[in-house]
Amino acid sequence: MAHPAIEISGLTKRYGEGDTAVDALKGVDMIVQPGEVVGLIGPSGSGKSTLLKCLGAVIEPTAGRMTLAGETIYDNGWKVADLRAMRRDRIGFVFQAPYLIPFLDVVDNVALLPMLAGVPNGKARDRAREMLAALDVGHRAQAQVSQLSGGEQQRVAIARALVNQPPIILADEPTAPLDSERALTVIRILNEMAQRFGTAIIVVTHDEKIIPTFRRIYHIRDGRTVEEAGEARAA
Amino acid sequence: MINLASRDILHGWGKFVFTGVGLGLLIGVTLSMAGIYRGLVDDGRVLLQNGGADLWVVQRDTLGPYAEPSNVRDDAYRSLLGVRGVAAAGNVTYLSMQIQHQGGDVRAMLVGYEPGKPGEPDYLVAGRPITRSHYEAIADVRTGFRLNERIRIRRHEYTVVGLTRRMVSSGGDPMVFVPLQDAQEVQFLKDNDALVNERARTAANPAFNRPAVPGLLEAVQASQASSRTVNVVMLRLAPHADEAVVARDIRRWKHLEAYTRADMDEILVAKLIATSARQIFMFLVILAVVSAAIVAFIIYTMTLNKVREIAVLKLIGARNRTIAAMILQQALGLGAIGFIVGKTAATLWAPIFPKYVLLLPEDTLRGAALVLVICALASIVAIRAALRVDPAAAIGG
Ligand SMILES: Nc1ncnc2c1ncn2[C@@H]1O[C@H](COP(=O)(O)OP(=O)(O)OP(=O)(O)O)[C@@H](O)[C@H]1O
Ligand SMILES: [Mg+2]
Repeated sequence: MAHPAIEISGLTKRYGEGDTAVDALKGVDMIVQPGEVVGLIGPSGSGKSTLLKCLGAVIEPTAGRMTLAGETIYDNGWKVADLRAMRRDRIGFVFQAPYLIPFLDVVDNVALLPMLAGVPNGKARDRAREMLAALDVGHRAQAQVSQLSGGEQQRVAIARALVNQPPIILADEPTAPLDSERALTVIRILNEMAQRFGTAIIVVTHDEKIIPTFRRIYHIRDGRTVEEAGEARAA
Repeated sequence: MINLASRDILHGWGKFVFTGVGLGLLIGVTLSMAGIYRGLVDDGRVLLQNGGADLWVVQRDTLGPYAEPSNVRDDAYRSLLGVRGVAAAGNVTYLSMQIQHQGGDVRAMLVGYEPGKPGEPDYLVAGRPITRSHYEAIADVRTGFRLNERIRIRRHEYTVVGLTRRMVSSGGDPMVFVPLQDAQEVQFLKDNDALVNERARTAANPAFNRPAVPGLLEAVQASQASSRTVNVVMLRLAPHADEAVVARDIRRWKHLEAYTRADMDEILVAKLIATSARQIFMFLVILAVVSAAIVAFIIYTMTLNKVREIAVLKLIGARNRTIAAMILQQALGLGAIGFIVGKTAATLWAPIFPKYVLLLPEDTLRGAALVLVICALASIVAIRAALRVDPAAAIGG
């Protein structure tokens, strides 16, 4: 059987030192299979964003182990030399706000990722257009970012996260600014993409509307994870 | 890979172009300042060349006639002609004055010279040289005088028969050339009352008014009414004569100072316009600092407005080098726009300046290099700020 997309064990993160130290993560365990969409919920300050940042290799954990698609990337220290390239090639990010680059048009916002990986411009744009079409915003490819609706922008942001076909997507409250219909659409799209590309997706959320859509949920409380079965039935 | 800098500039080009134009006007002023300095030096060189002189003979212990006043007796040229190696000698006078013209007055430098001798303006843009010994004038075009126009200088009217170009004093005043005797008269002319007064005083002096010596009083009075000095004697040397040797002979035997063209050049650049040059240099330094501050400020604010985009770029895997290059290219782009605007402005407004503005290609090149260096330095602050942006900031809390 293939490796899990994400495997985390005993991960801890301490901010600061001495008296002011904060233990944001106190031993997180988590396994996510390819094609799976899992929810990550918990009260404010429980460590959700901290966990995403560790997985996204933008902050260094204090101890523990992280494995992505069978490769150990962290084991009490980074095991990957070029974290920047790892982020670019293996992890897609979706944020609460779309965070598109306003001075690039829609297609280049998406094409920028393959371009950064060294793909020639023409090919990168082709891939971007394909991905935009898959997300039903292909007709807006030449538009300026500012001409898009909030929902369209979020889809472009998802296209950007997917375009390099990373094994993992990390989404931090991707539905927060959207109404419930659009929020559910975004989750439906993420599920479709996970199915289609075998991407493992972790969705951090507070959003009561979408929590019922997850089959599996990790509840994070006081720096530790508790796995729960989600309400969604296997359909 | 697409060019992020140019995309960002095109996205918000209005602000960028406005800043570039503002910067360009500053650069234009800077280039003009340098041009004014070059113009000063060049005016001086043209002045030295145009007289056709090899040696300038002036009053002893002075740096005359341009940097200090100098008086030489107007018959000294005769004995100078006797010095070995001297081929021609011409008396020349200089006097700064206001000349009435069309209801206003023009500040000019009145030059007296002897037609056909050293000191004569040898290049006319219109008209002819002075042929009569009185009441003809050659004027620099900057005076605004026209050919055949009659102008009034003190008591007499002169006809403008020729026009020169680029003949100005070191102060920038255009020159008006008239025959030597007319100029001497103007320079040392007393008004009628003073003349009558002087005559009466001489007549009352028993030493001059001697009935036993008829004609003495008239002779004395005549000598007082006309001048007997000039400011410089310009010499042209025989072919093969060594100007240094001739100058040394004149210093030793004639009790006069003699300067070669190289000496005059040195006096002009090192003494006469040295203060102006320092002043212009101060302006250049200040303008360079102001330009740097403007570029630094604009690029810094542009970067701060993009902190979120920069965090996202870093998160999705852009190299620091890519981000630094984007900011550097924007600074250089701003400098390039500024330079093009500045060079154009300086070229367009140069003819309007009252003083000659000489824009040398090498100054332009130096200016371009300096602008780009300043812009690159000014972008350092912004680049440092951008490199400090934490990619984690894109994920948020
Ligand atoms: N850079 C930091 N330095 C020090 N402490 C931090 C830092 N970032 C987060 N913390 C602390 O770590 C703990 C976990 O923070 P985190 O941002 O992961 O919570 P969260 O679950 O994302 O909360 P929210 O739902 O409000 O976004 C909090 O107590 C927070 O104060
Ligand atoms: Mg958070």
